Amino acid sequence: MSEPETPAPESAPAPEGRAGSAAHWAQLAGAAAWSDDFRTIKLRVPRERWVEAHRALKEHLPFFSWLSAIDWSTEVAVGDPVEGEPVEERYEVLTRLADVSVGEAVLVSTDLPRDDLRLDSLADVYGGADWHEREAADMFGITFTGHPNPVKIYLPDGFEGHPLRKSYPLLSREVKPWPGAVEVKPLPAAGGEGQAGPEPGGEGGEA
Amino acid sequence: MTGDERALRAMARSEVAVSVELQTQEMTLNIGPQHPSTHGVLRLVATVAGERVQKLEPVVGYMHRGYEKLAEVRTYTQITALINRIDWISGFANEVPFVVAAERLMGIEAPPRAQFIRLILSELFRISNHLVFLCSFPAELGAPTPLMYAMRERERLMDLIEGVTGGRFHPNFNRLGGVRPAAGGGAQQRKRSQDLPAGFITGAHRAMAAVRGVCDDLENLVLGNEIVQRRTVGVGVLPAARAVEYGVSGPNLRASGVAFDLRKVDDYLPYHLFDFDVVVGQNGDAYDRARVRLEEIRQAVRIVEQALDSLPPGPLQAKVPRVIKVPRGECYVRAENPKGEMGYHIVSGGGRRPYRVKIRSASFSNLSVLPWLLEGALIPDIIAILGSLDFVLGDVDR
Repeated sequence: MSEPETPAPESAPAPEGRAGSAAHWAQLAGAAAWSDDFRTIKLRVPRERWVEAHRALKEHLPFFSWLSAIDWSTEVAVGDPVEGEPVEERYEVLTRLADVSVGEAVLVSTDLPRDDLRLDSLADVYGGADWHEREAADMFGITFTGHPNPVKIYLPDGFEGHPLRKSYPLLSREVKPWPGAVEVKPLPAAGGEGQAGPEPGGEGGEA
Repeated sequence: MTGDERALRAMARSEVAVSVELQTQEMTLNIGPQHPSTHGVLRLVATVAGERVQKLEPVVGYMHRGYEKLAEVRTYTQITALINRIDWISGFANEVPFVVAAERLMGIEAPPRAQFIRLILSELFRISNHLVFLCSFPAELGAPTPLMYAMRERERLMDLIEGVTGGRFHPNFNRLGGVRPAAGGGAQQRKRSQDLPAGFITGAHRAMAAVRGVCDDLENLVLGNEIVQRRTVGVGVLPAARAVEYGVSGPNLRASGVAFDLRKVDDYLPYHLFDFDVVVGQNGDAYDRARVRLEEIRQAVRIVEQALDSLPPGPLQAKVPRVIKVPRGECYVRAENPKGEMGYHIVSGGGRRPYRVKIRSASFSNLSVLPWLLEGALIPDIIAILGSLDFVLGDVDR
């Protein structure tokens, strides 16, 4: 996580923050920290309080939008690693909850260590979590304890591996190199501005 | 009247009577993966007793293309070509939340004219999507005639879209910071920013008038049709609380009586400038889901007409660096797509490719309520309920 996380004030008086603000939601959920960057509120809760935090938020944010995960890893088989300071190795599980009246919404997130990918299922709290958890189990290998129907949703039976893990290679790239392998087109020579240059924001870079 | 009473009434009206004295044996009925009503490749495994569904398990994943993984190995400018294939009926609308999220992370904003063009095209795709629904849904119920009416007017919209973007289904028209100059314009046109082809505005006005006409036709042909009413009224009732908890969004949610529309509460496009109503249903049955979509076409026509009349002049593209790098950060942007909430959670590691993109597609959540909705339903109603949810498997599997 690059953004600085604001620690939640401990045992703050009841009306903390304007209703709908990050601080307000963090207090409701009992979140350990929160961030509010790019107009996306994210509450960080410990994994022990995962179900409890969702139960507390459900009354105000009844809409279950999605659940997914991020594999934070310094070594990646495909794509680019995170630039700048290295990330802490872990899996982050995220849910998005929203209301259906004024447009309030939050992300709730928790961290799982690499050697213990278990998390309590939310299927009892939000019925909609069922399929999303099955998807995250397929793609990241996370075990949702207490899930009512823990079978594969996308992957065929007997499929090995978890495709969205950063260690999982993109097989098509292994078989056939990407044709646009040239990384960045050289900038056109000074004065040659005009027809030759790629359209701004368009096909710049690999095509 | 509650949903249960409505279901009982529908049952009483139903032609099919299940005798309690007859012993029925449970059997498994397999529907799909290849079936015209599955809008792609969906398999349903139903356990039935007589004419009633005891339990139904949708089997998805036949169309999984791994877009979230592919997005990790493509640059931001390449990803729009992938993601307009998610819900192929409304291709352009899939691109909008992605580019808006990336723009927010980069701290840029598309100029007003580009935003208006995005909005007009999104609404044209909404009309097109709902017209496809209003022709395929009756066809699945056994009435092929409305298909001709709806498709004829949809073709006008497709021509308009093709005139602007160069593509009918996969426009790939958005750029980070704006929209692409119109197809075939070349470098000269880029400079003059002659974005919309000549005659687009008058053509669009004419198409909107035609769409209004076909809405009236479809209202009589489909919603006024007694057979359609008997097949859909009181069938597949989805209570609002259940819909919300499952993340059912868009017209399906509004049909259950929840007046929630992201165009009213979010600002990913300047919808606040236009007058339009949020259409809600009362009963949350298959009939309401069809009626809400018909009314939404009329509202979308209103939006397009206002936007055409107030289209601001100006550039189409904000200033962006030649090589696009997105600063480290996370952003989720959602949009009211024709099928419901579509959103992208972009996690940028600071490079030219996103570190992770979570694609939230409407149909996945909309379909996840299906096992609940079909429990206890009659076999002939499976297709009516399934069709009324308006999903596309590309949008389920991504």
